[in-house]
Amino acid sequence: MSTSTSLAAAERATPVRTATVPRHYGRYLYLAINIAILIFLLAPIAIVVVFALNPTPFIQFPPVGVSLRWFEKFFASRDFMHALWFSLEVAVLTTLSATLLGASAALALARGNLPGTRLIVATMLSPLMLPAILTGLALFQTYVLLDVGRPTWGLVAGHTLVTLPYVVRTTLAVLHNFDTRLEEAAQNLGASPLRTFFEVTLPLIKPGVLAGAIFAFIVSFDQFPVSLFLVSPGNETLPVTLFNYLKFDLDGTIGAASVVSILLAFVVVIGLDRTVGLRSYVKL
Amino acid sequence: MSSTAAQRPNGLALFILPSALLFALFFFLPIGLMATMSVLTGNPVVMPKVAFTTRHYARMIDDPFYLEVIWTTIRIGLVTTLVALAIGYPLAHWMARIKSRTGHALLLMAVLAPMLTGIVVRTFAWMTLLSDKGVVNQTLMSLGLIAQPLKLMYTETGIVVGLVHIYVPFMVLTLTGVIGRIDERLEQAAENLGASPLRAFIEVTLPLSLPGILAGSLLVFALAISAYVTPILLGGFQIMTLPILIYQQISANFNVGFAAAIGIVLLVISLLLVIAYNRALGLVSGQRELQ
Repeated sequence: MSTSTSLAAAERATPVRTATVPRHYGRYLYLAINIAILIFLLAPIAIVVVFALNPTPFIQFPPVGVSLRWFEKFFASRDFMHALWFSLEVAVLTTLSATLLGASAALALARGNLPGTRLIVATMLSPLMLPAILTGLALFQTYVLLDVGRPTWGLVAGHTLVTLPYVVRTTLAVLHNFDTRLEEAAQNLGASPLRTFFEVTLPLIKPGVLAGAIFAFIVSFDQFPVSLFLVSPGNETLPVTLFNYLKFDLDGTIGAASVVSILLAFVVVIGLDRTVGLRSYVKL
Repeated sequence: MSSTAAQRPNGLALFILPSALLFALFFFLPIGLMATMSVLTGNPVVMPKVAFTTRHYARMIDDPFYLEVIWTTIRIGLVTTLVALAIGYPLAHWMARIKSRTGHALLLMAVLAPMLTGIVVRTFAWMTLLSDKGVVNQTLMSLGLIAQPLKLMYTETGIVVGLVHIYVPFMVLTLTGVIGRIDERLEQAAENLGASPLRAFIEVTLPLSLPGILAGSLLVFALAISAYVTPILLGGFQIMTLPILIYQQISANFNVGFAAAIGIVLLVISLLLVIAYNRALGLVSGQRELQ
């Protein structure tokens, strides 16, 4: 508020259009607004960590101390541990299938001379934009109609569908950027197409595939709407278990569970940044 | 994209098949079944006689309750989009214009960090902030600014705050890409001709970033109207939106046909939004391809 009034005052004081003083204040206002937005983005995550370390069983602010009791309770809880391991299992299986399918699809799209590539790419990316809750609902109805129950492979198939777009996109990005003459050179020197693939193409597209795999892992680990419809009671993923707890109570254990999943995502992302760099893979 | 229509598919084209199979079995078949279920009187596997019906759709139009649900969903989506645009634009502008590489990397991390935190966890964070005994109310009360806790949770405002936080990174990333493509020298030229930075922004940068504003808004709107976790937890089961209604029809009423019909309505709205989003982004990349 005070910045804008002084800005107006400065303008009145200098009728000549030098604009240096208001520009100065304008710059501060610009930074202040942006820092407020950054606080809005990051503060809630910080609050979760504070809440998880706070010893009281209810929200207390400012915090009264630091304890690990909620983490002990989380790691001792059979429900949460089961959910954590099940989530990891589903995320690993999903990452494997999404990476394998997505990377081969990207290869076919970039090198296979397929007709209608643009339409196929749009279709393969569509689970990203269409409501995931509908993917969950549609799969749920299909499993009910076909009477297959709620198997883990059904959940993994749903997760694969919503994570595949990430792998396709990151792999395609790398494939479009690299020089096809490298592959031609290898073949001219007598390498078989198979050997060219394993010794030239694969090492070159590895960063893109890896980035996609890491996205697939995180998205699967945090996935909620598809899981909501496809998990069976007693075999729930961590986000679904958290959600069920949240419906009744705000407890420090949930804070601890949240911190564990945040840390896991951060470790994975920092790993991603160190190995292949983030910048090129966040285009929407 | 270079045209390869004249060339024939080669052996590598076969690598598309596993994904094609996945999409056929787990995407197109289920959506087709959902569309079929939405116009049937019952489950054709269990019941011997099922007939075609439009009653699930008619129910949505005839009952003012369901029209109210649709309107609530759209209203929450619109407000979320506007707020996300208002706070996403400045940040996107900063990210697109910051010179330092480290600065850019830090901003990118700050935007991605919330994105990589699960939706349930982020909603939980807002519950600890907004509940009656939450951080916001405790702070305001200890400062003596309020005597009674403010009702922040279980309101549409609470839902909008949570949704904005969850979807603003999508707005920022879409806008950053578009603003980054606007030649900075255009702004400088305007300023050299005597325009203030604000005027240069309003008359040069803002109009040029309109396709990004449109694309980002469509994306956030599409995501916000299909959100489930945040509206149900921050709305405390008191505010009904389409996704909540869908899950309720399945879990409480087991009315698969009606749930499917609501799903199809949501799907059609989302499809239209996605097409519009691609058009809007096409405006930007189309400009670039012409250069």
